[in-house]
Amino acid sequence: MLSPGQGKEEKQLRLHGSGETMHTVAADLYLPRQARIDGIVRENSQIKTFVLSFVDEEFNSAFRYQCGQFLMVSVPHCGEAPISFSSSPTRPGSIELSVRRAGRLTSALHEMQVGDRLGLRGPYGRPFPLAGLVGRDLLFVAGGIGLAPLRSVVNACLDAREHYGGITVLYGSRAPSDIAFAADLADWAKSPRFACRLSVDSAAPGWRGAVGPVTGLLTETGVDPEKSVALVCGPPLMIRAVLGMLSEKGLPDDRILTTMERQMKCGVGLCRHCHMEGKLVCVDGPVFSLAELKRLRPMELAG
Amino acid sequence: MHDRYLLQKDHLKSLLRKLMKEYRLVAPARNRHGDVLFVVLEDLDAAELDLAAQPQNSLKEFFFPQREALYAYEISDEGYRFRPLAPECPPTIYFGVHPCDLSAILYMDVVFSQGGRDNFYLRRRRESVLIGVNCGAPPSDKCFCNATGHGPFLDFGADLMLTDLGGRFFVEADRAQGQALVRSWRQFFEAAGEEDRNARYQSFLEARGSFQRQVHVEQAIRQLADGAVAEEVWAALSLRCHDCGGCAYLCPTCTCFTITDQQTSAQGGVRLRSWDACTFAGFTRMAGGHNPVAQRTGALRQRFLHKLRDDVARYGRPGCVGCGRCVGSCFGGADIVRFVEKAYEGGC
Ligand SMILES: Cc1cc2nc3c(=O)[nH]c(=O)nc-3n(C[C@H](O)[C@H](O)[C@H](O)COP(=O)(O)OP(=O)(O)OC[C@H]3O[C@@H](n4cnc5c(N)ncnc54)[C@H](O)[C@@H]3O)c2cc1C
Ligand code: SF4
Ligand code: FES
Repeated sequence: MLSPGQGKEEKQLRLHGSGETMHTVAADLYLPRQARIDGIVRENSQIKTFVLSFVDEEFNSAFRYQCGQFLMVSVPHCGEAPISFSSSPTRPGSIELSVRRAGRLTSALHEMQVGDRLGLRGPYGRPFPLAGLVGRDLLFVAGGIGLAPLRSVVNACLDAREHYGGITVLYGSRAPSDIAFAADLADWAKSPRFACRLSVDSAAPGWRGAVGPVTGLLTETGVDPEKSVALVCGPPLMIRAVLGMLSEKGLPDDRILTTMERQMKCGVGLCRHCHMEGKLVCVDGPVFSLAELKRLRPMELAG
Repeated sequence: MHDRYLLQKDHLKSLLRKLMKEYRLVAPARNRHGDVLFVVLEDLDAAELDLAAQPQNSLKEFFFPQREALYAYEISDEGYRFRPLAPECPPTIYFGVHPCDLSAILYMDVVFSQGGRDNFYLRRRRESVLIGVNCGAPPSDKCFCNATGHGPFLDFGADLMLTDLGGRFFVEADRAQGQALVRSWRQFFEAAGEEDRNARYQSFLEARGSFQRQVHVEQAIRQLADGAVAEEVWAALSLRCHDCGGCAYLCPTCTCFTITDQQTSAQGGVRLRSWDACTFAGFTRMAGGHNPVAQRTGALRQRFLHKLRDDVARYGRPGCVGCGRCVGSCFGGADIVRFVEKAYEGGC
């Protein structure tokens, strides 16, 4: 017999993402767990990173997730929104979510303070296939908030640096004052075999980096099609342009990875808000390879 | 082939009366306006049971209510807590369920237990006993369960399955729960003989032969799988769609939902789950207004693709059970039969 919310059954909650598809078998499918905001980092005027831990300490220390997965985040009276992990699973004990102020829930979240409580459920979704990155050169291409899920991967790779070849991050922002994750970018710059290049849509006095869309940086970046894997995350138009360019550079479609965004209500494959050409992004994604996307032909790639 | 019985029609109400002592009874009854609806029957003597007509509602709302509170939440010194609200689910007998509506329940069983198990649904389902009745003739000229493979007779899924043989019902008890029911109320059931089996088969043949319309569902499924449905078909149907959601509301297999918070005080509220429809513009719209579904041409596309392509790919059967409820109730005439016909004709 299953009865919602009873401690015994919650113990059955599967904490570890396992392999390709992740399903939660929690007794109570949609029940959020209480989490506390332990820290807030203002990344730019629109993005804040929230450092969180589950109030239940035992649960918190046992909680695991994988890069590319997401949580359903509850904010009082605002419902839920899907937010990717921006922290690395190699550093358990706390969770980081980087959130762009986009509407009702995310704005309310931006008003919250250290010590305030959120509800979290997950982890959900098919992660980035990290095992497939081992031994490869990694090319990360991100725009705006798109760096959040990729930050998780970059930091996971840096925590096992010897497993990977060269790492390149290309990051596009609107303006120099909009560049988020500055602390990470500074850290990464100190890592061996690591190249980080920034571009802004409109420069400001003193800006010495590139100007223009992130595709400009990509044009100038050499990619070894034999050795590389690309991970791309950002607004739909950017994704489309970048995927096209990577293909042209000879990178095989199954080594070009990206994430798809859809409205999500349940996160577990039932409500169907996240439908995408026969797939459900919350369980079949959000990570997809270009090879998969070419078969599916979602709107982001059409036209 | 065992556990075959007869139930004299004269005995039906006495049996139901006994069952009502232990179970809540939901059955199709004709109300004073002449409409047949599945309702909770309180007074069997006052009720006019109608096992032949198509009830206007399906059983969906009994297992998956149009709106239900999943959790109560509270913000206090203790923090931000969610308390699960147990679904109301008295043990219930659903009586007089046609093959289409039974199939729809079997479909929902799969949907709500794949991957994530939805206990709000599953608990109600666990407390249910299904007593079906085969259709001796299609209840309406809109029925096309023969074309989707869900009727007019169904050989599995119900706890007890009845077939009307005139003065008596032929009763099949293939599931443990149904067999237990017969054992408990053995005095109402007689053993069925060869003749009764033959009569049932005869009734099946007649039922199968009495569908007036030919709906080319299989053909449409093949076309969708091959991506061979013309863009104009989608566009023309979508233009007729008024975005009212009526089809999803009536459909026994439309189970898309949304989850929202309703604040009830400064310190708390409830988290609700309610029916939603994939045809609604807001279903896929995201923050900032970006919508991955082109509403003008694609509104209805998802509805038909889901039922006739994606469900076939995932479960091996279409999600449409051919009940015909959406047929003729759509303002714009953009129902699933219209789609199948348009796809079949290859034009608009
Ligand atoms: C898998 C996934 C991971 C995500 N990761 C992040 C992240 O790491 N950081 C971040 O800032 N944003 C992320 N997003 C986007 C984020 O979920 C939306 O910005 C957020 O839902 C907007 O909610 P709102 O109430 O602030 O906006 P509103 O426009 O007020 O939202 C209205 C409703 O629409 C729905 N909705 C709106 N936009 C989206 C959307 N883009 N995706 C899903 N549902 C939406 C929500 O359910 C919400 O209830 C992610 C989205 C997905 C699908
Ligand atoms: S799509 Fe129409 S005919 Fe098919 S099951 Fe739903 S309501 Fe019945
Ligand atoms: S979010 Fe509900 S099915 Fe994907």
